[in-house]
Amino acid sequence: MKSILGKRNLIIKEAEIVDPEKNNKYRSNIYIKDGKIEKIGKNISAPEGIAEINAEKYTAFPGFFDMHVHLRDPGQERKEDIKSGIKSALRGGITSIACMPNTKPPVDNINLVKYILGEARKYNFKVWPVAAMTKGLEGEKISEIGLLKNAGAIAFSDDGKCVQDGKLMFEIMKYAKSFGSLLILHEEDYSFSSGGLASEGYPSIELGLKAFPGLAEETMISRDISFSKKTSTKIHITHISSKNSVEMVRQAKKEGINITCDVTPHHIYFNDTYLKNYNTNFKVSPPIRSSLDQEAIIEGIMDKTIDAIASDHAPHLKEDKNTTFSRALFGAIGMETLFKATYTKLCREEGMDIAEYIKLITSNPAKILNIEGSCIKEGRVANLAIADIGFVEKFSGPLYSKSSNCPFTGEELYGEIIFTINNGDVSFVNSDLYE
Amino acid sequence: MLSGKSIIGIDDLKKEDIDLIINSADSFIEVLDRKVKKVPTLRGNTVASLFFEPSTRTKNSFEIAAKRLSADLINFSASSSSLKKGESVIDTINTIMGIKVNLFIIRHPEAGACKLISDFTGMPIINAGDGAHEHPTQALLDLYTIKRNFKKIEGLKVAIVGDIINSRVARSNVKLFKKMGIETTLVSPTMLLPENNEYMGLEIKNSISEVIDKVDVLYMLRMQLERQDRKMYPSIEEYNKFLSLNTSRFFCLKKGCIVMHPGPVNRGIEISEELMDLADKNGEVAKKFKIKQQVTNGVAVRMALLYLILS
Repeated sequence: MKSILGKRNLIIKEAEIVDPEKNNKYRSNIYIKDGKIEKIGKNISAPEGIAEINAEKYTAFPGFFDMHVHLRDPGQERKEDIKSGIKSALRGGITSIACMPNTKPPVDNINLVKYILGEARKYNFKVWPVAAMTKGLEGEKISEIGLLKNAGAIAFSDDGKCVQDGKLMFEIMKYAKSFGSLLILHEEDYSFSSGGLASEGYPSIELGLKAFPGLAEETMISRDISFSKKTSTKIHITHISSKNSVEMVRQAKKEGINITCDVTPHHIYFNDTYLKNYNTNFKVSPPIRSSLDQEAIIEGIMDKTIDAIASDHAPHLKEDKNTTFSRALFGAIGMETLFKATYTKLCREEGMDIAEYIKLITSNPAKILNIEGSCIKEGRVANLAIADIGFVEKFSGPLYSKSSNCPFTGEELYGEIIFTINNGDVSFVNSDLYE
Repeated sequence: MLSGKSIIGIDDLKKEDIDLIINSADSFIEVLDRKVKKVPTLRGNTVASLFFEPSTRTKNSFEIAAKRLSADLINFSASSSSLKKGESVIDTINTIMGIKVNLFIIRHPEAGACKLISDFTGMPIINAGDGAHEHPTQALLDLYTIKRNFKKIEGLKVAIVGDIINSRVARSNVKLFKKMGIETTLVSPTMLLPENNEYMGLEIKNSISEVIDKVDVLYMLRMQLERQDRKMYPSIEEYNKFLSLNTSRFFCLKKGCIVMHPGPVNRGIEISEELMDLADKNGEVAKKFKIKQQVTNGVAVRMALLYLILS
C-alpha cells in the first residue's frame, strides 16, 4: 500500500475528524482531488479506482504547525538540514514549521531568508523563516527588520540568546512594531544563567549541577512585559519554563498586554527528577524544572495562558551529547514526538479535550504568527495529519532526523501518525502500521 | 560483599553495606599499626587511579590503600591540557580500557563523570570526587571517624560549616549522616546556599554562633573565597566574624564535641591562626581536633572499600 505515497487524489474513509476551528469532532469521509479537499461528507461520489484510505481506526487532524524549530541549515548540516528536518516533521504530522535564525551564519540577511524559502520549496513544504532580531545575534545592533520582513521573515528572534541591554531591547520593540512584526523572545538574564546547567532544587542540590534558576527567565519576562506595555508591541515568549513565568504572562494577559507564549513538549512531559542519571538528552535551555513548575505549565495550558506548544527541535551530534553533563550542548529534538508526547500527557493523562488540545499545535501558532493555518475545510489545500490515537508503544527513537538526542526515547507514548498529507500530497506513510 | 560493585554516590550503599565497610575498616586500621603494613589480600588485582583534577591527599590515600593490600596500581593524571583540547572522558577511558584493570578510582571536575564512565564501561568504580556532586569515600571516612569517637552515633548533632552549594563533601556527608540517624545543620552565608534556601530538608543557619554550643561534631568545610566563580562573599574579615572557628568559640563547644575538617585547613579562614597555634601547644585543645585521625581513617576505609569490591 506504499503506492499511496505521493498521491494527490484519494478518499479517506470514515475518519474521525477533529476540527479545532469549530471545536468539535465528527466522523466522515474526505475526498481529496488534485491536492485540494473537494468534499467532506457521508456520501461522496468519487471516481472509480481512486486511492482509498480506510480510516475507521484513525483520527484526522489539520496538519500540525511547529513554530520553534532549529533546522541547522546552513552551516551545521551534520546535525540536520532542511531536507532531513522536513522528513522528521512529516513523520510527526507537521506540515508547517517556523525555523530559528541561529544557523551558521545566522539568518540576519535577506539572502539566507531566501535560501531557506527556496530549499523548502524544493520539498514542497511550508517553512517560515524567523530572522535575527539583532545582527549576528550579538545583541548589539538591530537587524534590518524591514528588509528581512519583505524578503519573507515571518517574525524576529535572537533565540538561543537574549538581548541583555534594556535600552536596545526597548528600541527593538518600537522598531518591530513599526513594521507590525512579531518578536519571539528567548528570555534569559545571563547574570543568573551563566554556567548554569539545570534547574535549581533537586538537580542542583543532589546532583551537584550548577543552578540555572527560574529567575533567569522571569527577570527578562518582567522587563519585556513592561516594555511591551509601554510600546504596545506584540511579543511572544517562547519555551516558557517556570511557574512564576506562567503567572506573569497570565497577569499580563489580564491587563490586556499583547503577549502570547509557548511551551515545549519536554517541559510539559518531564520534570527535573528525570535528570537523575545525568542523561544529557534532558539538558535543555531553559532547563526542565520541578514538578511544581510542570503542574503550573499544565494549568497554564488548561486556562489558555499558554497559547501554543512548539518542539524547540534542537539537533546535536552524538559527540556533543555523549559526554559529561556540563560539556554536553543544550537542546533536544522533538518534531517526531511533538504530537505523541503532548497528546499522551495532556489528553490521556490530564483529560484535556482533544479539540481544545489540537489548537495548541495547529490554529494557535498560526494565529500568533498571523498566517492562515491548516484546516479541514472544503476548497482548502489538503494538509492533514492522520493518526491512530489508540496506538501505544515505547517510543523507539526518532527515525528521520539526522540526530538522535531525543528525551522521549523509551517513553510509553500514545498516538502514531499513520499518514501526513502535506500541501496536497501524501508525503508520509507509516508503512509499518498501514498495510 | 557489598550490594553493588561501584560507589558513585552514597545512595549506592545500603545500611548493611555501611556497617560492613566500617567493620572492615576496623580490621584494616589494625594493619596500619603493624610494623609490616602490608597484606597480600589483593595480589594480582590492578587498580587504575584516574585523576582528571589535581589532588594530592585523596590520591595518596587511595594509592597507599591499594599498595597496603598488594594490588598493582597505575596512575593516570589527565593533563588539564588534553581535556581542554576537547578530548572527552570517553576517549580517555577507551584507551585505558585496553590495559585490563579491575577497578577505576576516579576524580573528575565535572558532576556526573563517574556515572558516565560507569555506564560506558560497566566497570567497578569508586568515585574519588566528581565536581560538586559527591565524594563518598570522604563521607565514609568521616563517619568512621565519628564512630571511633562516640559510643552511639544515632541522634548525634552535626553542623557542617562553609561553602555548601559548591561542596561535594557536604552532599555526601549529608546523605550518609541522614542514613545513619545523625542530625545535620548547615551553616553558611546566603550566597553559598542553594537558590531557594532548601537543602534536603535540613535546618539552615547563617552564623556559627547559632550552633556552636549545641553540636557533637563541628565539621568545617574548606573555604576557598578566591575559588567562587563570582566573588559574592564580601571578605575574609566578615567570614571570620560570622563563620570561623576561633579560640573564644572553641571554648563554647560542648564537652565531648569533636572538630573535623576534610583538610587542608586554611589557617586564618575556617579556623583562626590563634586557635591552630594553641592546638599545637596544648594537648587538651588538640584532643578535640580529629583532622589527623581523619587522614589515617581514610586509608583504612579505602582499604576496606577496595577489599570489599575486589575480593
